[in-house]
Amino acid sequence: MNKKNMKRIISRTQSLCPVCLKKINAIIWIKNNETYMEKSCQEHGRFKSLLWRGSVPINKWVRNKIPATIKNPNTSVDKGCPYDCGLCADHRQNTCTALIEITQRCNLSCSFCFADAHGKVVDDLSLATIQAMYQSIMETSGNCNIQLSGGEPTLRDDLPAVIKLGHDIGFSFIQINTNGIRLGEDEAFVKQLKEAGLNSVFLQFDGTNDGIFEKLRGKPLLATKIKALENCQKYQIGVVLVPTLVADVNDDDLGNIIDFAVSWIPTVKGVHMQPASYFGRIPNLPVEEKRLTLGDVMDKIEKQNRKKIKTSNFTPPGCENARCSFHGNYIYQQNGELIPLNNSSGCCGTEKAEEGARKTKAHVSRKWSVNQMPMEINPAVEKIEEKSKDAWDEILDRINHYSFSLSAMAFQDVWNLDLDRVKDCCIHVATPKGELIPFCMYNLTNQDGQSLYRNQ
Amino acid sequence: MKQEGVDQVKWLCDKCQRELELAKVKVRYMEGNFEVDLMKCPTCNQVYIDETLALGKMKEVEEGLEDK
Repeated sequence: MNKKNMKRIISRTQSLCPVCLKKINAIIWIKNNETYMEKSCQEHGRFKSLLWRGSVPINKWVRNKIPATIKNPNTSVDKGCPYDCGLCADHRQNTCTALIEITQRCNLSCSFCFADAHGKVVDDLSLATIQAMYQSIMETSGNCNIQLSGGEPTLRDDLPAVIKLGHDIGFSFIQINTNGIRLGEDEAFVKQLKEAGLNSVFLQFDGTNDGIFEKLRGKPLLATKIKALENCQKYQIGVVLVPTLVADVNDDDLGNIIDFAVSWIPTVKGVHMQPASYFGRIPNLPVEEKRLTLGDVMDKIEKQNRKKIKTSNFTPPGCENARCSFHGNYIYQQNGELIPLNNSSGCCGTEKAEEGARKTKAHVSRKWSVNQMPMEINPAVEKIEEKSKDAWDEILDRINHYSFSLSAMAFQDVWNLDLDRVKDCCIHVATPKGELIPFCMYNLTNQDGQSLYRNQ
Repeated sequence: MKQEGVDQVKWLCDKCQRELELAKVKVRYMEGNFEVDLMKCPTCNQVYIDETLALGKMKEVEEGLEDK
């Protein structure tokens, strides 16, 4: 047989059957520049899923870590991963970001929705429940970053109180995950969010034209998103643009999205891309060849951008599993250039996962917030500090206000699930019972839409 | 380096016996190039970074550029 027709097995792992959710063995193999997972269930047959593709080789996308230990596990190890989530003692990473879904109500009906949220009325979590959840997160994971999600969290009029409560309990970084409709339409509400201490907005932003929003969100939303950005700019709240990437819908708009984001620096702190995963509400079952992998996204960014961004700017994460994300950090210069800040710390050797989680928490909190206006657009600061300002202050001003990041996270669905990756997860959804469930496990559904954890 | 007077904070390069002068120095950290004023020996170009700067703004820059 010709070598070109051979599959090279690079690892063996465990996954779940997309039909019955039973744990099954899986192999991961490479053919040419594509990496697939293949697995079979005795009852439901064979499944093949694309994991990685593109010019960046998967076997070079490595960051070895010494696992962290969960100091206060909420659940005991019984049936084994992924059936004991809570976190259990077998988990290998602490919480970097804890999500609280404060409402299941939503004012959109998107074709892709992790939470399968609808306009239908489900009781929101009470403030007392949210308080108990915050306290539980603090006990298990300490002062991690908090993301308030949903549904659409801005549909709650008491969102400012929810934010303030989190800060009062001791969380220093609180972000909302929003479609931005209310932020665009209700300036007074944005002011209240700022006054409550909102640090960052994770703004659903799928593209630079309304055709994309109509396909993915069911209506033209670009003007509303721009209004939301204007309001965040006015009240100095940092924004990260978050496109859900779908092949043939918006994967050719990445260059435009990056240009748009750069034009909104320093309000916009970065673009965080999420290739579509197949869980929750989905328009169709995955067509593997149409999946966008992290390798695809890196290649597309390099091909489409007009800012000299290269795949070599991107590094695997020090916190979660290497195959879960990539990121690149930049400083936006006055001449309009993005200077890449490549870091060699992840190139070799083994790092402590715990240290990776600490650095990521600090990095996200520092880079995705707005603390004060930069010197050059704040005349008051300019006047007071004119005499003492030196080149170091200018560098610090640039770093503090004009840092920009490009990142992507590939969530795992039931087809491409690698349980080895799950154990390294640092993004955990808090439940009212006080558990912390790795994000992908919380949202995972089988091919019929049945959840492993959500609503269980 | 020898410190001459506490009040004037003048510095002497021990090797060249020349007084340090404030000069523009190019600083490179990761991929970023910056130009800053530092005390420098006019002969051998050796630069002196005092403790306040090293533990102050310079440390802040390093932390600001720290990756995750």
